[in-house]
Amino acid sequence: MGKKEKSQNPKRQSDKKQHEERLQKKSLSERDGNETEKDSAEKDALTQKEPRQKPRYNMWQMSAYMIALAWREKEKKIILLGILLTLLSVANNLTGLFISPVILGLVESRAELSALLFAILGFLALSILFSAARTYTDRNWGYGKITIRTYLVAMLNDKLATTSYPNLQDDKFQKMIGKTNSAVNCNSAAGEAIWETMFRLLENILGFIVYLLLLSAVHPVLFAVITLITLIGYFINKPLDGYNYRHKEEMGAIENKYWSLRQYAEGQGLAKDIRLFGMRPWLKEVLAKTIDALKAFRRREAGVMIWGRIADLVLAFLRNGLVYAYLTARVLEGDLSVASFLLYFSAAGAFSSWVTGILGNLLSLHSQSLELSNLRECLEYPEPFLFKEGCPLVPDPGRAYELRMEDVSFRYPGTEKDILSHIDLTLRPGEKLAVVGLNGAGKTTLVKLLCGFYDPDQGRILLDGRDIREYNRAHYYKMFSAVFQNFNLLPATVAANVAQTEDDIDLERVRDCIAKAGLKEKTESLPAQYETLLNREVYEEATMLSGGETQRLMLARALYKNAPFVILDEPTAALDPIAEADMYCKYSDMMTGRTSVYISHRLASTRFCDRILLIEDGKLAEEGTHESLLALGGRYAELFDVQSKYYREGDTNHEA
Amino acid sequence: MKHKDKKLLSLRESWRINLRAIKLVWRISPRGMLCQITETVWGTLTPYVGIRLSALIIEELSGARSPERLKTLILAALISAAVFALVTALLEKARKPEMNDVIWYQTDSLLWVKMLELDYHISDDPETRKILSTIRQNMNGGGWGIHRVQGNFNNLLQAALNLLGGLALTLSLFTARVPKEAGSLTFLNSPLLILLFLAGILASTLLSSFLSTKADSYSALNSDVHNLANRLFGYFGFLGHKRHLATDIRIYRQDKICKKYNCDKTDAFASKGYFAKLARGPMGLYPTAATAVSILFLTGMVYLFVCLKAWVGAFGIGMVTQYIGAVSRFSGSIGNLFNTAGFMRNNASFLKLTFDYLDIPNTMYQGSLTVEKRNDRKYEVEFRDVSFRYPGSDDYALRHVNMKFKVGERLAVVGMNGSGKTTFIKLLCRLYDPTEGSILLNGIDIRKYNYNEYMSIFSVVFQDFALTDFTLGQNVAAADTYDAPKVQDCLKKAGFADRLEELPLGLETFLGKTFDKEGVDMSGGERQKIALARTLYKDAPFIVLDEPTAALDPIAEAEIYSKFNEIVEDKTAIYISHRLSSCRFCDNILVFHKGNVIQQGSHDQLVADEKGKYHELWHAQAQYYDEKASMYRQTAL
Repeated sequence: MGKKEKSQNPKRQSDKKQHEERLQKKSLSERDGNETEKDSAEKDALTQKEPRQKPRYNMWQMSAYMIALAWREKEKKIILLGILLTLLSVANNLTGLFISPVILGLVESRAELSALLFAILGFLALSILFSAARTYTDRNWGYGKITIRTYLVAMLNDKLATTSYPNLQDDKFQKMIGKTNSAVNCNSAAGEAIWETMFRLLENILGFIVYLLLLSAVHPVLFAVITLITLIGYFINKPLDGYNYRHKEEMGAIENKYWSLRQYAEGQGLAKDIRLFGMRPWLKEVLAKTIDALKAFRRREAGVMIWGRIADLVLAFLRNGLVYAYLTARVLEGDLSVASFLLYFSAAGAFSSWVTGILGNLLSLHSQSLELSNLRECLEYPEPFLFKEGCPLVPDPGRAYELRMEDVSFRYPGTEKDILSHIDLTLRPGEKLAVVGLNGAGKTTLVKLLCGFYDPDQGRILLDGRDIREYNRAHYYKMFSAVFQNFNLLPATVAANVAQTEDDIDLERVRDCIAKAGLKEKTESLPAQYETLLNREVYEEATMLSGGETQRLMLARALYKNAPFVILDEPTAALDPIAEADMYCKYSDMMTGRTSVYISHRLASTRFCDRILLIEDGKLAEEGTHESLLALGGRYAELFDVQSKYYREGDTNHEA
Repeated sequence: MKHKDKKLLSLRESWRINLRAIKLVWRISPRGMLCQITETVWGTLTPYVGIRLSALIIEELSGARSPERLKTLILAALISAAVFALVTALLEKARKPEMNDVIWYQTDSLLWVKMLELDYHISDDPETRKILSTIRQNMNGGGWGIHRVQGNFNNLLQAALNLLGGLALTLSLFTARVPKEAGSLTFLNSPLLILLFLAGILASTLLSSFLSTKADSYSALNSDVHNLANRLFGYFGFLGHKRHLATDIRIYRQDKICKKYNCDKTDAFASKGYFAKLARGPMGLYPTAATAVSILFLTGMVYLFVCLKAWVGAFGIGMVTQYIGAVSRFSGSIGNLFNTAGFMRNNASFLKLTFDYLDIPNTMYQGSLTVEKRNDRKYEVEFRDVSFRYPGSDDYALRHVNMKFKVGERLAVVGMNGSGKTTFIKLLCRLYDPTEGSILLNGIDIRKYNYNEYMSIFSVVFQDFALTDFTLGQNVAAADTYDAPKVQDCLKKAGFADRLEELPLGLETFLGKTFDKEGVDMSGGERQKIALARTLYKDAPFIVLDEPTAALDPIAEAEIYSKFNEIVEDKTAIYISHRLSSCRFCDNILVFHKGNVIQQGSHDQLVADEKGKYHELWHAQAQYYDEKASMYRQTAL
């Protein structure tokens, strides 16, 4: 069931500390029964509030934003049901308040039996109507809220998946993104819980006003005193409840250790090492220490919190004593019936909880708005690249494009040294270019500049003579079919992975590309062939492809895209010699007619390329064909010698 | 979307499993459970004193109205409430460090400590991982499973106590007699009516909890739909956050497919989805009906019965408040009792899965022979007709492998991807046992040795080795405490000495920033050196390196090759690679192909066999270097 779930608070809080994968929960949780909603909403507010943070949008602006979002996404139901729920709750509360005193009054005054029966049945009917309607509304309220939270997640994901690439390296942006997780990761996160807070606040205000009006017979000073006592209790408890927040780093360290241990023990990464190096006792020892530290922390916390409880019970003593004294005196004076005594006595308690409710929900609204304001600022984060404002660009696969770097220099933000300096390079239409060099020489950066992931700090990159910065960057990416070292296997069918879409798949082309990439036999041996699901992270029954097969699938994907430029960034590192040689041949064949750039630190791969660039220390150190570079006898020749000496015949005694 | 129809377990089975779960939680935290029980007993029973006292006050107000007695009663009510609250607060203070998140972590750790204890071959089995992953998803999604046990137990206890307390305060309701002059209303005295009244309460409670359990079962029975939807959301909702995939996502415009999934209103949880439809139907209507039934019958009957009796004068209005207060608690508790029972029933199938997992036995045969740590390090290993199949796979990963090697040798294992190289190593160090055939150490089947001792003679750097985020020293020693000079020595041998000097905290440096903001992120090459130092620290006679150079550039690769002999000293070294250039300095080369050892010998022997696989592999790679190399030499000359 998606909607109503019990979930214990500790789990939810701890889950926040977990890594992304473990975090995302969509279903609706209900707070644990042991804790009242107000209590925990308040606690959340205190634990999540960031001190001295200046949000761009305040809580009224954020509430308006959320309402506008719901309206725009056609989830008006959230607001309508929310209002209905508020009214029903107040009505239900009033029914509950009056039922006993009214009936008691009838018994007390020995009214007609029919009047008594009528009153009982009347209250019963009202109570059933309000409660049942409330239950039904509540059960149906959650889905709109989940949908809107999912929209927040979707908008954020969309921003991240399309934002200018350098933004992803921007520390400030990353920090803001890091904080968004707790705003959307579960049902009790701000992105969903804010609705509850808004309407609870409304309910408490409404209740407060209605009680003031209904109970006007009681001396207003009594209400003023009750309000005062409640406020005192609230302000005594507030700093005590903040204990957790003030010590969140200590708690964070404990939780962090726990989740890391769990990851070590459970993940497949360390499984072999744990067993071969006998690490079990070590990890269990750390676990025991971590649990002890947690207990000690909770013991200290409980030692502080108890003072809040004591204050509460003293204040309750005062409040009830006062109410008792006042009401008893009035009954004894004869101007109050026993039934009214009962009514006012329970009203006094309820009145005090309306006050607490208003304060607590305001605090929650404030802290939830902080989180959502941060999320909204992420969505509105400025883009250094042009997207919709840029020139449109439609790649023509048949056409030969020229890509040119003119005196390009680049350094990563916050670093001192140019990673590339003064590069002049023309990618001629249809040529096969290899870029080689040691790790860290700047090969990948060069490719990232060509693909438009970074803009140069100096110089320009020109596509057929026009600065690429002028184009819509998303359109510019259409110019490239690329296979990077990190690629993403979609939880979808083989065909969808090749086509990168689930709608309008050109199956003929998929088959053709799969065949060209050498994956036809394997694909057709699979249970559902091209419709076979991949990615076990999502589909537990999905087929697992081997490393080499996945490489081929990625190649098929690049072919399907059929872009004018092909970029290959070390795609063969995990392959065996025969598969590697085979891939080289395939690439060579398939790149015919396209301009390709091939990056490698393995010089052997340069062989099928028309031109080789050796990058060293951010500069184009050498350039030419394999033969001409060897003949040059420079750095390339030297590197080649290092790598090939083990293969050279008659040199078997080489042992250092 | 397909919805699997699940079945609930039988009542008996549910009861048995829940009982076992409660015992388990008790074992984890006896102190916590005791604190919780005490607090529950206290917290449940004391409010009845308050109810009784309020009733007495009302009674007094509507009757004699003696100011003295009122004062006493009010003071008693106020003071008892304060004292009860104080004791509750103290009990809560005792409970908090044992319960809540503490017991949550303790219970949760059962699951992963189990994984830690399992033999590698079981922990590596996709089936095992799938069970654990399902348990976790049920927990995170619906809150089902072991974490619910303690709460259920507590609810059960609370309901039972309320039943007792409520009964104690309402007994007189049934015994109080309606006076004769009430006329036709004297039927309220009839024992039959009392029985009917009680039966009515029981029946309507049963009906109401049946209805709400029914609503809950939609969650329990649809946990698969629920979990799949959460997995899809977890993937597509957060793909953009994966920075290492950012280039791929942009080039292939994967934001589009994300949007398709994320903005789909017919998704299981969304406003037009499966669960929303269920909520408009049975999932919303059952609880609504349950609410209506419980108010109509429970509240309604109690008010009617109590008020009628009071109206005819069986008791005063003070008692009316007492009875109504007590009976609503009492009838509510019957409801809770059944609701909790229903929860426990729904939860049983999730607990069963948890126990199925916790009960997985370790199946590795545990021998008793000791492995002599011989000073002369004379060991001989032999594979005798070894075949092996991974669990759940139909294909043999190794087939009829026969080979022998001695300590002190440099053994290279080469072959294509998937030819069985890594499997061979996993069998050798007993992460797996062979399906057929046997592996012998000094002529004795390795299964006959003490398992831990046998494992202690191997030190392996796997291609996918991993380190923890603890300190450098702890990582090298793979333990909490370590011998610092020895760690330093091993790091030096592994080529880490220069880097170590740069670290202000030395061996106390945390790796990465997970545990310490001052921690240091190590590069891939540095991590590899630390892993190498870890194998040296273990000082095992066999040292295995699984593709250590795949991610390195030619210079770094050459460095590792040249230091290899120095590092390995007199140990037996096994070197796995698909890059044949790394084999040339090994004495003995095993060539794997499709799960078989098809060739064995020195590089010169093997390369000379022109029909052999080795020759083919060698030339597949060497061709790129050979001709150019000779050309280079010509031009260089």
